[in-house]
Amino acid sequence: MKKSLIAILAMFLVIVTAFSGCGNNTDNSKELNEKILKTSESFVLETLNPHLDYQGWYTSIYGLTEALFVMNDKSSIEPLLAESAESDGNIWTIKIKKDISFSNGNKITSDIVIRNLQDTGKINSRFAYLTECIYEKIDDNTFTITTDDIYPTLLNDLASPELAIVDLDNSGDMSTELVATGPFVVSSFEPGGTIKVVKNENYWNGEVKLDGAEFYYMPEPDTSLMAMQNGEIDSYASVTADAAEIYAKAPDTYKLVTIPATRLQFYILNENRIDSSIRKAINLTIDSKAIEKYLNGTVSSTVGPFSSTTAYGKVTKDAIDTKAAKALLEKDGYVLNTDGYYEKDGKILTLNLAYYAARSLDTLATLMQEQLKDIGIKVALTCEEDPDGTYIATGDFDIALYCMIADKACDPYYFVSCTLAEGAPYNCGGFSNSETQTLIDKLKVETNSDKRAELANQIVQIAIDEDAFGYVALFNKTTVMKTGITNVSENCPFDFYFLNANTDMQ
Amino acid sequence: MKNYIIKRLAQLIPIILGLTFLTFALLYISPGDPAQKKLIAQGVATTTEVLEKTREEMGLNQPFIKQYADWLVNLLHGDMGISYKDGTPVAQKLEKGIKYTFILATSAFVLSIIISIPLGMYTAVRKNYFSDYVIQFLCFAGNAIPNFLLAIILIYYFCIRMKIFPVIAKGTIQGLFLPTLALSLPLISRFIRQIRVAAIEQLGKDYVKGARARGIKENYIIIYNVLRNSMISIITVLGLSIGTLMGGSVVIESIFMWPGIGKLVMDSITARDYPVIQGFVIIMAIIYVVVNLVIDICYHFLDPRIKE
Repeated sequence: MKKSLIAILAMFLVIVTAFSGCGNNTDNSKELNEKILKTSESFVLETLNPHLDYQGWYTSIYGLTEALFVMNDKSSIEPLLAESAESDGNIWTIKIKKDISFSNGNKITSDIVIRNLQDTGKINSRFAYLTECIYEKIDDNTFTITTDDIYPTLLNDLASPELAIVDLDNSGDMSTELVATGPFVVSSFEPGGTIKVVKNENYWNGEVKLDGAEFYYMPEPDTSLMAMQNGEIDSYASVTADAAEIYAKAPDTYKLVTIPATRLQFYILNENRIDSSIRKAINLTIDSKAIEKYLNGTVSSTVGPFSSTTAYGKVTKDAIDTKAAKALLEKDGYVLNTDGYYEKDGKILTLNLAYYAARSLDTLATLMQEQLKDIGIKVALTCEEDPDGTYIATGDFDIALYCMIADKACDPYYFVSCTLAEGAPYNCGGFSNSETQTLIDKLKVETNSDKRAELANQIVQIAIDEDAFGYVALFNKTTVMKTGITNVSENCPFDFYFLNANTDMQ
Repeated sequence: MKNYIIKRLAQLIPIILGLTFLTFALLYISPGDPAQKKLIAQGVATTTEVLEKTREEMGLNQPFIKQYADWLVNLLHGDMGISYKDGTPVAQKLEKGIKYTFILATSAFVLSIIISIPLGMYTAVRKNYFSDYVIQFLCFAGNAIPNFLLAIILIYYFCIRMKIFPVIAKGTIQGLFLPTLALSLPLISRFIRQIRVAAIEQLGKDYVKGARARGIKENYIIIYNVLRNSMISIITVLGLSIGTLMGGSVVIESIFMWPGIGKLVMDSITARDYPVIQGFVIIMAIIYVVVNLVIDICYHFLDPRIKE
């Protein structure tokens, strides 16, 4: 029997040795001379069609596709494939840059741009309105888009990566092939797996610094961390707090960049069920700075739904003041009982907080429960798997937690119309204010960006002052790079940019 | 035997039908609306009108039985349907993942057998010796460590410290080793204990005493009598583990980036992607029932006293 034990051990060693020798673990000389950036992503594509769903986000990350406009690091829109745009009422005149081409050398003309917009409208319900617009070609580089009503955020939409301009005639069904305008072209694509890209030799916008890049699908953050430590990948975004702590300890090896991004954690206070004094007390108690500290670098506390660096993120809220919160409750007739909870008419002040266990909302729920307990409000937590099908749809909550991308395209209208307008899907806590609605209607048609920001600030300020919502934190975008890697869109708050022509490695 | 196999294969049909019906019903009554999830995933505001239109397009406003019957009829025509999530044909989505999951499950299964049978027999023969205690302790540890932790420990030592394997498996033979090890170590721990118990029971029987009294070599008794007679319970345990291996390797596949089916199924459950879940259930049901059939046939060969 001892012999069999020895045999098993020997066999194990043989297997380990054999397996470790099986793979191609060494870079060949060609690869050593090439600048190939290796990175990981936590999502996976089944097809390359950028017009479908959110797939354009990923083809943009891979550096394959570009849109007419681009969202920059300061959350404003600038032309990319387009030269300029002008509006006259509901007619937009778009000029495309001259002599720019797809990766196959074909010229980008008004015709192909119009066809791309129409194609996206047909297959992507978020852009369905594009099928109803009237398009008119002026010349090869100029066309007009006529919308039903004045549509001030058209350029923001045209900056969406889903509206990427693709050579529709030479990309097949875009399941595995894609001819577009980005600095990189697909060299191999495995649906549901790895994608490899190489430099677009015909790139219209100057020299591409890298020779190529490889994107590996790694759904587990720990795997990305270990692949980075093992030198198998060079950079990735969406770094977890634990991993960031490890990278921060080795500044000579890794560069870590953290910026507030666009995904917002917020809570809705149900005006139909809780009085204004209690809502005020809640907002005077929930300490987003303390929450930011507890969540260890993954979020940045916020005052409003948008980053304070944007023109439409200039709102204010009262400072945390638990004494004032308690005073408000006491003024409302609540008395502190021996257990440390406020009660009125023999009933303890108990609120139901509904949440779902994603995007750290479970931790946020517990932290809010603790903070509210400290001022004498008892909170009962209700966890739902599907918030949209339950508490958001029914309004059955006192406090509801939710997380969404507040700033999709450098404009406040999407979030404002989704959460604060009458009958909006996320206005489920009974917030109703005629002044707000008037301002939202104005925002819908206002074309001047400064005035739009001013209107948005007024609208959000009313919601804050009425204690209808509490904006807690914006998720951070954390990117890690090996030293020597530069320009992986690490300072851009939008998740859909990563690889670009200026990305480089030493 | 031929009739028995045909009979068992015929029994497969109501079992699979029952399973698919049950899964469909459980998904149907579980909270969450596939249409709403689809719209949210697309970033579309879920107004009542849009929701109703989407439900109609997806056939979700049909009565439950009609939805199930439509799916079943299409399946009999070889069409597993289209994924609600991304419109990809279900068969296409499952095909590739199943292959890799099957490779991983098979290699883990084979490794488990190769290691656990000799060690199980060894601990039975060396019962209450020091080596038995050591192996028993390791088995307890192997059973207790969650497989995600085991996977991370393996990556840390084999990839980062020893640099024997790469972290990025890429679905290669080299990349197969660590997920196989991570999947099989808990199984080996369980198998060793079960084989040990079965063998100890056999070792106490009179035929073993008789064989020893007749001067038959110990190794011969252990291998040709004790092991063979323990095989009935061993095979039952092995057979039951196939299902666990095929369906339960989600975490391992995710950590090692093994391109199997686990992650796909988990994502489909979250997104209420009924066609994909149903496709997975039917494939798993067939594998499970076929494995059980093979086990039953093995019983017959191992012990002819067991009647069909």
